[in-house]
Amino acid sequence: MNKQITKLLFTCILSFSVFNALALDVQLLPDIKSDAVKIQIQDPERVVGYTVGDVITRHIILTVKKPYKLIDESLPIIGYEKRYRGQTLGVDLSDIKHTSKDNGDTVIHDISLSYQVFTNKTVVKHGALPTEYVNIINVNSKGKEVGKFRIPSFEFAISPIAMFGEVKIEEDISKFRGPLLLDNSNLKNRLQILLSVMALSLIGLLYMLGKHAWLPRMGGPFAKAYRNIRKQENTPQGLQKAVASTHEALNMTAGNSLFSGNLEVFLNKKPAFKAIKPELEQFFGLSRQVFFEPGAGHQAGDNPLLWLAQFCRRCRDCERGLIPDSKF
Amino acid sequence: MSDRQLAEWRQHALTLETEVNKVVVGQANPVRLITIAIFARGHVLLEGDVGVGKTTLLRAFTRGIGGGYQRIEGTIDLMPNDLVYHTYLGEDGKPHVSAGPLLMSGENLSVFFFNEINRARPQVHSLLLRVMAERTLSAFNKEHTFPHMIVFADRNQVEREETFEIPSAARDRFMMEIPILVPNDDAIMSDLMFDTRFHNADALIDTVKADVLQFDQLNGFSSVIQKSVAASPTLEKYALNLWKATRNPTEYGVKVTNVDMTRLVLAGASPRGMSMMLRAARVNAWLNERTAITPDDIHAVFHATVAHRIVFSPVYEMRRTEIAREMLSNILNAVAAP
Repeated sequence: MNKQITKLLFTCILSFSVFNALALDVQLLPDIKSDAVKIQIQDPERVVGYTVGDVITRHIILTVKKPYKLIDESLPIIGYEKRYRGQTLGVDLSDIKHTSKDNGDTVIHDISLSYQVFTNKTVVKHGALPTEYVNIINVNSKGKEVGKFRIPSFEFAISPIAMFGEVKIEEDISKFRGPLLLDNSNLKNRLQILLSVMALSLIGLLYMLGKHAWLPRMGGPFAKAYRNIRKQENTPQGLQKAVASTHEALNMTAGNSLFSGNLEVFLNKKPAFKAIKPELEQFFGLSRQVFFEPGAGHQAGDNPLLWLAQFCRRCRDCERGLIPDSKF
Repeated sequence: MSDRQLAEWRQHALTLETEVNKVVVGQANPVRLITIAIFARGHVLLEGDVGVGKTTLLRAFTRGIGGGYQRIEGTIDLMPNDLVYHTYLGEDGKPHVSAGPLLMSGENLSVFFFNEINRARPQVHSLLLRVMAERTLSAFNKEHTFPHMIVFADRNQVEREETFEIPSAARDRFMMEIPILVPNDDAIMSDLMFDTRFHNADALIDTVKADVLQFDQLNGFSSVIQKSVAASPTLEKYALNLWKATRNPTEYGVKVTNVDMTRLVLAGASPRGMSMMLRAARVNAWLNERTAITPDDIHAVFHATVAHRIVFSPVYEMRRTEIAREMLSNILNAVAAP
């Protein structure tokens, strides 16, 4: 008997709870006063091209004025299947992040809702993130008045994964999506690499050919001598100045007065110049003829000034640690 | 004299060098310098340790150039007249006078070797200096001349007991001071020890071709060399700068390790010294088939002709050899040519 009474009592309590639950269905609650809550929504910029598996996140900021208060339990529930007119939407809430901050007379709720698309078709179809309702309570009212606040839906287009039949891409161009673009990132990377190589090559070329001293080791004695030689006129006096200028560069490079007698010592000290040893000997032959023994021959050709400029350029290459120009 | 004759003489000179280098191994540079001195008609002071081959070297040259070779050893009791004559009692019991080393070969004296000159007294130096400068000697009421004579003297720098330092004026009479060092090539050193042909100096000298040059024609040919080898204005300026640098090395930025350069030099090279350097440089140019002096010719003879002429402060005299070598090397490095 007692057992039957207990069952009856339990049934009554359960019936009353279900009734109350039905009575608290959010759809049935009145709207909260318009000035009680302010909403800001950041929806995704893209409204087309979503397909099964995509995650769409919208960001909602609710500013609730006191004494109103958001009932946290009324926030959307993860995994709850959304329906519209009895049909499943094919969009499920997959994640929710909620933080709140009390600013004295208001509380700001930062809500991030992530939905995942679980539907697809062979043609473009309509899709929407559903309208959500949250409950707001006025804690100062007598009956603890509760109202609902509506978060509007977000509509987008769900695209098929594959198209059936013949497709004319020109007719498929959506004004929302714009033209389909080819992936050219590889070409861009290659272009960047080639441009870098070209820039380095140009710098190297300037380094080799440059007459000025705006890079390290460019302002060496032979760079100056080369500039000086190119200024000289093709006269005996000009040749004398050019040879003297080259001598000066050699002496500065060697750190002492250099002539053919101590050439070997110099080459051991500056091995970069070993590649042009024959030309160095020819230069001393030319110097001997120009300054000391006019009757002596030299091997600097018919235009010694031109030969000297080329020789000095090769010395400049050695000075810069480059392989001397072979066109000599 | 034609270019052909100059070339022929050059060939003779190079043959002489080759012959001497056969018997005195590892001394190519001193041999070249002595060859230069012979053709520049300058006296030579050899500096080196005992037993390095100085005498063999000179005897080999003497055999090559012909003429008389005389030698005297410097000792503390040597007197000037010992160079001119000596007296003795003959078999007949009467005193006799015979010619000393200077007079023994008469005018044909080509090489006079004064061994260990710094052991002789200054009186002996005086006589020798006159003979070196004027190539004449008054003895027995007669003026003796030695027109073809070259004096080679040697001094041992290591031993200083019972020696007299050669005064700077005397040193200046020598055209060159040539260091004779022990060769540092292992093969040559081994040969000098084990090759028996080096053990008998007389037999070794006999292998040198005799009379490669004619000693009595050297004076005349020397003048020809001096006239035929030119010096350009650039070279003159270079030599002048070198001379100035020996007098005021600090002005040319010349430094020597651990030496106060402001106190080092009391007197630089003398005019006679620089003219001798140019004479030697001309001969070097001729030996290298050049008709004009180049800086290389000066470099080749600079140390030998200048180092012994520079007068250092007494505090640095003990280190003369090393200081002079470093200072002159630095002068050549500091003075640009051209």
